[in-house]
This record gives sequence, C-alpha cells and structure tokens, in this order.
Amino acid sequence: MNPRKLLRIARWEVTKNAGGLDRRTIAVVVVAVAGLALVAPVVGVGGVGVDDGIYRVAVDDDSQYDDVVANDSTFTVREASSRDALERGTVDLWIGERGVEPADSRKGAAAYEELRESASTYNNQQLAKEGNQTAAFPVSVTVQFREQASLNTSLGAGSGNSDGDDSPATDPDDDSPSTGGDDSETDQSGTEDDATGSVGDDDSTADGNTGGAPPGGVTGPLSEDELSGSPADINPPFPFQSLVLAFIFVIPLNFLIQAYGSTMLSERLKRRGELLLVSPVTRLDIIGGKTLPYFAGAMVTEGAIAVGLVYVARGELGGLISMLAIMPLVLLFLGATFLGSMFARSFKELTFVTVTITVVLTSYAFVPAIFTDIDSLALISPLTLVVRDLQGEAIGFQGFIFSTLPPLLSALVFFGLGSGLYREEDMFDQRSISGKVLDALAGPISRPYHVGVMTMILIPFVFVIQLLAIALLFATGDLSVPLILVVVAVVEEIAKSLHIYASYDHNRFDATARVAIVLGIASGVGFFLGEKIALLAQLVGLQNLAVAEAGLSGGVADVSGPVVILFLLAPLVLHIVTAAISALGARKNRRAYLLALAVAIAVHFVYNFTVVRSFV
Amino acid sequence: MIEAWELRKEYGGFVAVEGSSFSVDRGEVFGIIGPNGAGKTTTLKMLAGLLEPTAGEAEVAGYDVSETEMRHQLGFLPEESPLYEEMTPKTYLDFFADLYDVDSAVARERREETLDDLDLEHRNRQLGDMSKGMKRKVAIARSLINDPEVLIYDEPASGLDPLTTNYIIEFTERLAEEGKTIIFSAHNLFHVESICDRVAIMNEGEIVARGDLDRLQDEYGETTYHVYTTVEIPESVRENGRYRTVVESMEAVDERREQAQAAGGEVVDIRTEQSSLEEVFLNVAQSGRPGQ
Repeated sequence: MNPRKLLRIARWEVTKNAGGLDRRTIAVVVVAVAGLALVAPVVGVGGVGVDDGIYRVAVDDDSQYDDVVANDSTFTVREASSRDALERGTVDLWIGERGVEPADSRKGAAAYEELRESASTYNNQQLAKEGNQTAAFPVSVTVQFREQASLNTSLGAGSGNSDGDDSPATDPDDDSPSTGGDDSETDQSGTEDDATGSVGDDDSTADGNTGGAPPGGVTGPLSEDELSGSPADINPPFPFQSLVLAFIFVIPLNFLIQAYGSTMLSERLKRRGELLLVSPVTRLDIIGGKTLPYFAGAMVTEGAIAVGLVYVARGELGGLISMLAIMPLVLLFLGATFLGSMFARSFKELTFVTVTITVVLTSYAFVPAIFTDIDSLALISPLTLVVRDLQGEAIGFQGFIFSTLPPLLSALVFFGLGSGLYREEDMFDQRSISGKVLDALAGPISRPYHVGVMTMILIPFVFVIQLLAIALLFATGDLSVPLILVVVAVVEEIAKSLHIYASYDHNRFDATARVAIVLGIASGVGFFLGEKIALLAQLVGLQNLAVAEAGLSGGVADVSGPVVILFLLAPLVLHIVTAAISALGARKNRRAYLLALAVAIAVHFVYNFTVVRSFV
Repeated sequence: MIEAWELRKEYGGFVAVEGSSFSVDRGEVFGIIGPNGAGKTTTLKMLAGLLEPTAGEAEVAGYDVSETEMRHQLGFLPEESPLYEEMTPKTYLDFFADLYDVDSAVARERREETLDDLDLEHRNRQLGDMSKGMKRKVAIARSLINDPEVLIYDEPASGLDPLTTNYIIEFTERLAEEGKTIIFSAHNLFHVESICDRVAIMNEGEIVARGDLDRLQDEYGETTYHVYTTVEIPESVRENGRYRTVVESMEAVDERREQAQAAGGEVVDIRTEQSSLEEVFLNVAQSGRPGQ
C-alpha cells in the first residue's frame, strides 16, 4: 500500500464529481446539513418538544410552584384573576392559596399529574445542588436487576410468595436490591412531600414499599390502587431519548452508504475501474482511497453530532468516547456496503443490497439500545456506549471492547472479502449475487487449512448475528431459548460449511469423501478455536442471561471434574462432526449440500438443546 | 521487450487461452488477430497484469507482469474507453499522471503535446459530453501520459468512424516510428497488415500461426499468377482485348505459354497476386487447429 497514492485517489474521489454539482444543489445540501446539525442536538437532548406549552396554568408569582412551572416547558402561564378560569376552561390548573386545583377534565387531571412529576424533578434538582449531599440524599441505593427465574427460586425457598403480598421487600432472607430501591423511593417521596405540599401527597409508593411494591421500582409510576405490576410498569417502557440519540447517529450513515455504494458500483459498470487496476497502484490503494472520504465524512458528521450533543447536554466539550464507539459502526456500514456493491450487478440490485444493510444494521444498532437497563444486552450495540457517554455515565474498558470489537472485526471481514473480489476477473463479471458470494468465499481458499482459517475469519460475523438474534429474541419469553438455539445452529453451520461448498463449486478440491472429511475437520477445528471469542461475552456478564448462555457458550455451570473436560471437548467434536456432514454433501452438488446442511443443523440443535436443558 | 511463455488462462472449466508463447522485440509492432472469443483480449490482459495467468509466465520491459513496477513501463488501452465521464480531459489525464508518478510540469507538457497530436479540442469539456472518437483519443492520451516503452492496444479503432479510425491508425504508426513497442489486436485485418511487423493468429485460445506477413503468406496464403495472352486458350476470359487465365504455379504458367504459342499467339503479361492477411486468416481459421 502506498499512502501517497491512496490519498491521491481519495482526493480524486472527492473532487471528481465537483463539476457535476451546480451551485444551487451545493447550497441546498449545505443548508440541509447545517439544519440537521442545528436541530439534531436540541432534539436529541431535549426531545422533540411536541408537548411544549400544552397545559395552561394560573399561578401566583410568589407561589412555591412558580419556579416549578417555569422549569417545565409543557406549562404555559396564563393570567387569571379568579379560579373561575377553571370553570371557563381558560386554564387547566389553578394554583392559589388553597393549593393546586385541576380543571374538572381529563386534561386537568393530566396537567395535575405533570405538575406532580415536575415538582419531583425540580426538588431533586434542588437537592442535587446542596453542598452536603449526604444530608440531601441520606440513603444511597444500588439497583440491580435479577432474572425472574432466579428470583422465583429464592422466593420459593424463602416465604412461598404465592399471592404477591409477601414481596421481596418483606422477605428477610432476600437481599434483593429491590428492597433498597423501594426504601429509596420512600425517601424521595418524603422529601418531595416536604417540598411540594399537596402535590407530593402521594402515598402509593410508600404504601407499596411496605406492601407489594414491585422489585426494582425506581420511579414508581404504578397507579395508586395497584400493589404490583408487570416489569414494563416499573420503568419507562420505551427509552425514547436513547432511541432518538441512536436515530440521530444512524441516519447519516444510511445516507452515506447510498453514495458510497454507488461510487463503488460505478467502478464496475462499463469497466470503468479497469484503468485504475492497470495503473501502478494496489487494489488496497484503490479501495482505501475510495473509502477514506466516506469514512472521514462519516466520522466528521458523527463527531460533530457527538460534540454538539455533549455540549448541549453537559455544557462542555467532549464526545471522544462517542466517536471511538461509533467508529466500528461506521466501518461496519461501509464494509457491508462495499461487499454488497461487489455483489450487485446493477443499481437496482445495489438498492436492494443497501436497503437490506440499512435494515439489518439499523436493527443491530437500535434493538439492543432498547434494553437500557440490562447492561449486557444494551452493550451489544455501540450506540449504547454513545448514549451513555452523552449522559455522562462511566464506560468500562471491557464493556467498550465487548461493544465495539465484534462490529469492527465484522467490518474487516467484509472489507477483506470484498477486496478479494476487487480484481479484473470478478469486478466485471455478471454472475448472480449468490455466485459472487461463492466467489468471495472460495477466492482465498486453495488448501485444506485455508478452510479452517476462513471459518475463523467468519467468527466475528457469526458473533454479531448471534448477538443481534439474542437482542431480537430476548423478549419472546419462553420461546427465546429454543429460538436462539435454532438461530445459533443455523448460523454456525452455515459459517462452517458455505465456504467449503464454494470451494467445491470452484473446483478447489477433489470430490472424495476423504478430502471432504479433512475439510470438515479443518473447519470444525477453526470454528472451535475462533469460538473462543465468545469469552468476550463472559467478560461483561452476558452469560448471566439464560438466552445468551444458551446461544454463546453452551453453558458449563456448576459442573466439575471429568464433566468439565467433556464439555471442553464436546463442542470440538460437535463442530468437526457437523462440518464434516456438510462437507460430504457439499462435494456433490448444491442439493446434496443443502440436505447435509439441514442434517448438520439438526444435530447441532439437538446437542445444544440437550446441553442447555441439562446444565444451564 | 515482451516475452510470454506458455500462458494459460482458465475460467472455471473453460480454457480461454492455452499455451500461448511469443516474444516482441523492442520497437516492434506485433499484431494479434483472431475471431471473437479466440483469446486475444485475455492474452493482452495477462500481459498488462490485469489477469493472473492460470499457468505460464510473462515479462514486459524486463519485469514480471505481476510486478507493480512493470505498469510504469506500460500503456494499456482496453477495447472500450471506460472514462470517468464527470471529469474533463485535463483533470482525467492529470489524475492518471499523478498515479504514474509523473512530475506535474512534465505531465502538463506531455498532456498538451499529446492532445495537440491527437487534434483534440474542448479540453475542459466533461468527458461524458464528448463523442466516441474524442473519448477514444483521450483514452489513447492516457495510455501515453507516462511515456511508456510498451503499448498494449486492444482494438484501438473499434467502433469508430472511418475518418477517426484512419487517424488513430496513423497515430499508432507514428508511435511505432518513435520506437514504442506495440502489441495490438484488431478485427480489421487491413489495419494490422498496414502497421504490424509480425502477426500471431489466435483461434479457440491458441496461437495457430505466427510470423511476419511474408512468411504467413508463404505458409498459409496462396500466390496466383494472372497470365495475359493475345489469343484465346482454355479457361481464359476476354478482358480489354486480351485473354486472362489465372493459375497457381509457375509450371501452369509455362503450360499456358505453350498453349498460346501453339494457337499462334503469345503471352504479353504475367502478374503475381498474393493472398491478403484476411485470406491467410480465413485459411488458417478454416484449416482448424495447428497440426490438423
């Protein structure tokens, strides 16, 4: 690779279209980008503000609620001489000497509820400004979430909680953090009461604490009559702000890959890229040079968004962690698009490819972010790191690696496979997308050990798909474990065998049973070694989730001695056997391969299911 | 300057080029002709380092074709002119000059000189707005921007109007006179015949005949003798007051002379005609593969 030439190609990539854009188009683009840059931080931090000023409040200037109302943008202050304004419907809340009175309407009730929450927020903000924080917050609570299954076990062993009255809070043997959480809520409410008088006169949380308060209740939004509820009632069910932030970061990437995919594909149409290939530059110079402007553009855009958001949110310059976290995602988008543009034969096909990439990778970025309260799931997406960075939360090194390494390695795999196709023989070939996939996989393979290496190379890709599947299937309840086991078996068996089939399709090996078994052993061993990347999951505690345990590690909990050795060797045997089954089919034809693959998947599923049922 | 040893290229199970060996001397113009699918373009692309040979080796200007340094010595013109149509001739040529490490001042001078030679105007117009002939001229200028020792031109005048075609062929002749080593493929055998020193004829991936034009005509062509007599003899046709008989050997000429004398006349003219390259090519193609 020659950096000078790479940069020259990058400069050319940026400037070659300069003459094709008129000034009006450039002006429109600049205004659009500037508008996005201005609006994005405000929307990201403050929300979309659709409810600004919807509640009309009449409040005295010397009322203790005056600052509360001023602090909440949903309220708008209206001048009113008497509480008749409530009757006339010109205000929703009247705050006078008799306290807070809502209008006799649903909107009035909603305004009242909003004021109550707003008062609570205001009080907490005031307390946070206190010099003596111990006095302001005398009880410190650490909230930890526990799996339902383990909680039920402990409850069963304790007091036999059948009717819900004996909550974890009353179980003396249960040291569940939820107890503390409820205590904390009591204190917060109490403080709130002191500060807000009648508005803070809410006993529900305090009552719930001594009765059937839900575990882990932080904000306590259950209705006053309820003593228990579903987990969804406990916390805000949808992390809107996190998703808006994620959305702001992902949207520019979706636009970017359209332009990037087009420029890559245009090199292949009409053989335009042929003259670059015959000039004294390497294909890495070409690919790197053509990719660099898009990568740099993405990082500048994402960086500007991150810095802007940090500044708006915290009033300080920052966002470095966000940029580092977003970089693998940018590379993943670009890598997948690059490979896709090597597969597509026309802009029509490229559209299909980029839409697929957009949907899959946006899901990968979004879905884990929904599980904001489950660290190990949320951290599957690098955007979670970004959101946490913007919110000023600490990010551990292990979490950072867990979150960023899989997409980074996957991006490298995409670029590697695509680079293999960036040559005269493949670039201008009109084979179908499936044919190109086989070309990409078979390209680097000429010896049996290459099969094992290729299997290892595909591991990050497998890992990312499995993580995405875990995030997607996590909410499916009892079905989640069987479903994830199916996904695991399918993905892993394809990853172990597709390149073997591609090798046979390209006449790389003799179609004898002996050679097929050798290839199966190579692939199985390669996968076994590469699979150890799943240790990353254990580093951040993903194995604490049953579904992740089932999907990623196979689980060897609470076993020892010979059983441990068995469980270390059994996956190796499994991977070799199933890869050999697929290879035996692949040596014949596509139909035989698909049949053998189905058998291998079935064997893999039965193995995993047995292990999970027995030991997880 | 160019050496190829047993080049072979296989795509899947299809053999595009098989056992192709030849050499081209410095300053020589070497033509490759053959029907569509004969393997001409594949051979040229292997020499240009675009395609990796399945077997065999090749050197250009003393470098193995897989070496990047070889490309500094090479100007390659593919059959189509795949230009970046949003660029202008100036920006396009400057970009490639930079990739070939040509000093910018030298590149500017060379660019203007070449475009002058090629009689190309509108140098700031976008390539997409140019005619096919103008685009071809820009493509040729690009192949010369690094002042290469070796030129590989694949169908340089393909699909162009007769005037532009003639211009490009003459330009290529001038390049040959300047000492460039040129390897050249064409469908139009007249072009090959007019500028090539030696020719290889390819068919079904193999070189089936090679050599200078005289040798090819001797080996694969036919020499015919047109005997003009004052009197009618067997198989003669009347033509401008004389009788013309076409024979294929000097022995037959002697026979016609005797026949004319016997009829009271004489032979007044004998003209020799040799097969064109096209006829040689057709003969070779129809005779099948070498040895058959």
